[in-house]
Amino acid sequence: MKTILRVARLSKSFGGISALQDIDMEAREGQIVGIIGPNGAGKTTLFNCLSSLYHPSAGQIFFGDRPIAPEFSSKKKKLVAACALVFLFLSLLWTPIFWSLFVPGALFKVETVMLGLLLLGVRFFTFRGLRRFEIWAWGLIFLFLAADICLALFLGGRPLSQDRFLGTSLPLGWVGTPWALAALPFSLFFGLQLCTAPARRLFGFKIGPDAVTRLGMARTFQNIRLFFHLSVLDNVKIGAHCTMRSGIWRSLFRTRRQRAEEQGAEQEALNLLRFVGLEQRALVLADALAYGEQRRLEIARALASRPRLLLLDEPAAGMNPQESADLIRLIRRIREKGVTVLIIEHDMKVMMNLADIIYVLDYGRMIAQGTPEQIRTDPKVIEAYLGGGVHAPA
Amino acid sequence: MSRRTRPALPPGLIMPLIFLLALLLPWIPLGPSSNYVLRVLTTAVLYMILALGLNIVPGFTGLLDLGYVGFYGIGAYTSGLLAIHYDLSFWWILPLAALNGALWGILLGAPTLRLTGDYFAIVTFGFSELVVLVIRNELWLTRGPMGLPGISPPSLLGHTLTKDWEFFYLVLFLLAVVLFVVTRLEDSRLGRAWFAIRGDEIAAQCCGINLIRYKVTAFAISASIGAMGGAFYAKWFKFIHPDMFKFWESILILCLIVFGGMGSIRGTMLGALVLIPLTEILRAVLPQELFSARYLIYGLTLVLMMRWRPAGLIPFERAQEALARRAEARIRSRRGGEQGP
Repeated sequence: MKTILRVARLSKSFGGISALQDIDMEAREGQIVGIIGPNGAGKTTLFNCLSSLYHPSAGQIFFGDRPIAPEFSSKKKKLVAACALVFLFLSLLWTPIFWSLFVPGALFKVETVMLGLLLLGVRFFTFRGLRRFEIWAWGLIFLFLAADICLALFLGGRPLSQDRFLGTSLPLGWVGTPWALAALPFSLFFGLQLCTAPARRLFGFKIGPDAVTRLGMARTFQNIRLFFHLSVLDNVKIGAHCTMRSGIWRSLFRTRRQRAEEQGAEQEALNLLRFVGLEQRALVLADALAYGEQRRLEIARALASRPRLLLLDEPAAGMNPQESADLIRLIRRIREKGVTVLIIEHDMKVMMNLADIIYVLDYGRMIAQGTPEQIRTDPKVIEAYLGGGVHAPA
Repeated sequence: MSRRTRPALPPGLIMPLIFLLALLLPWIPLGPSSNYVLRVLTTAVLYMILALGLNIVPGFTGLLDLGYVGFYGIGAYTSGLLAIHYDLSFWWILPLAALNGALWGILLGAPTLRLTGDYFAIVTFGFSELVVLVIRNELWLTRGPMGLPGISPPSLLGHTLTKDWEFFYLVLFLLAVVLFVVTRLEDSRLGRAWFAIRGDEIAAQCCGINLIRYKVTAFAISASIGAMGGAFYAKWFKFIHPDMFKFWESILILCLIVFGGMGSIRGTMLGALVLIPLTEILRAVLPQELFSARYLIYGLTLVLMMRWRPAGLIPFERAQEALARRAEARIRSRRGGEQGP
């Protein structure tokens, strides 16, 4: 079985309080992994780190082989990143800055303002393309470089008294070639160096929670976080957001592709609602659902993003025995679909029934790990979690 | 069962019918005050457009935007300057103004939309003040407090629009375009992402929605609709002045949305249709000595409304229920199609 999630020496502290310390854990494909621990042990903090809602203070998380949280904390790196941002800004605004420094009259003409704004827009989107290493963006960067060099060479050192394009009212302005050439590194530095892969590796990067979901890790929340004033169906369709592609234009003109995609998503959402047993309630607002139904809807919404790993944060909280028995069956069926499940739960019956492997957290530390049988008899767990040997759960 | 749930009119027909009725409006003989009524209605429809545009940000996406009038002003001045300097046709100016609005929406939104709640509202407020200050002080561009007079009226197929009913038709056409855009977006992946952000930002993120990206999109679309409204306003009024784009306008448009129901398209339109002509109606109805109390009554209406119907005339939930009904019809027709006769 392949490892789908690996956590290495993960720590998270809030101010002086450390919520997690040196957590090591691992989930293999197709497993149901349980995390237990008394209140305040850091279970939900761990989940929040996994889904990138918190950025860990130290340590690494690998999802498959993609790092979700690289180590990125040193002050030096932050300084370099700040400098890079300044350069990015300067190279974006390079044309207006150039004009305002050397041809002050030109900046205050309607034409130049519009041209400057246009260039700003083009550069902005070019840099965004560069971040994703798109080829057209590289071409445009070289074009910009060429344009800046031309600007420096041709305008440089020449008095501008009359200019057909900018109009006759242009005041005299000297454009020094050395100055213009000195400003070139702004473009060069950002355009050619900052966007390369080594630079990205140097600065580290943050992955937002949305990107984590797109990678295939979905989650539910301890305190239910549904979109309460939307319909149940729409809740699930929002869950399917990252499986869809249509943007503004396709939605505006309702192209065939958009309609097919909508229809597919709607069908899949209905199937998922049937899977969790809510198909009768698809068209009411999520507000109107009973508590247990809301929990199931949250699971359906998480499944809609077609995850490989599902994080369930206390799914059985507040459920009666009948409902939690149903829930156990549901989670088993989710596993049968090939989804790995990571589950936080207080209900020991659920946990002992479901989990293949259990990790025990206490005060932010991992105190034990093993199969349910091992955990049940582990003296450390009994002391920390089940309480001074009162009784082990049946 | 289908007979019970079916409304008297198919829902797709209600809006076109209202539009048809509105098209007939200029031809109802109202005597000498007919042009006045038309002008008031044109204003009301213009504010409907503005409110529909603003609705995207606080209504759909749930961000308080106090600087909407900035984009309105940008649109008006783009339109006025392009008309005066380049004598461009209205049909070129309209998309250019919308683009300029969107550009400034992105420029303002991209760095500031990371802020939440009140902080963001303050930034947008500052932005609208900045726009007015720039318009007032950059004489080389906008003539500042002297205003921009002599904007040429729009023309269509060589015919220059001058009469009130022509402008009324024009603004109705713009409303139809904006309504088309807004309703299509509401029921799409984009609209659902916005609703999700309004509902719960963290849950939205965990559903794979890139917050900044969708917030900036909402902001840009809202700004471009506002700028379109401004472009029409400049061409209609033929004179613009920085004082027309004061902060009060933002609040007024926000009031329309809150009054009508934040996030519901019909509510927003209804809000504008009720509140904008209200002062004019009060002007006609109130006796002379109570005449200057009309804003008092206006304020009182808002207060009472918030007391008794805090979610507005047509609340957001009702709009969502309507969307769900549309989905139901879609699913049912698809099932019917699959089984076949």
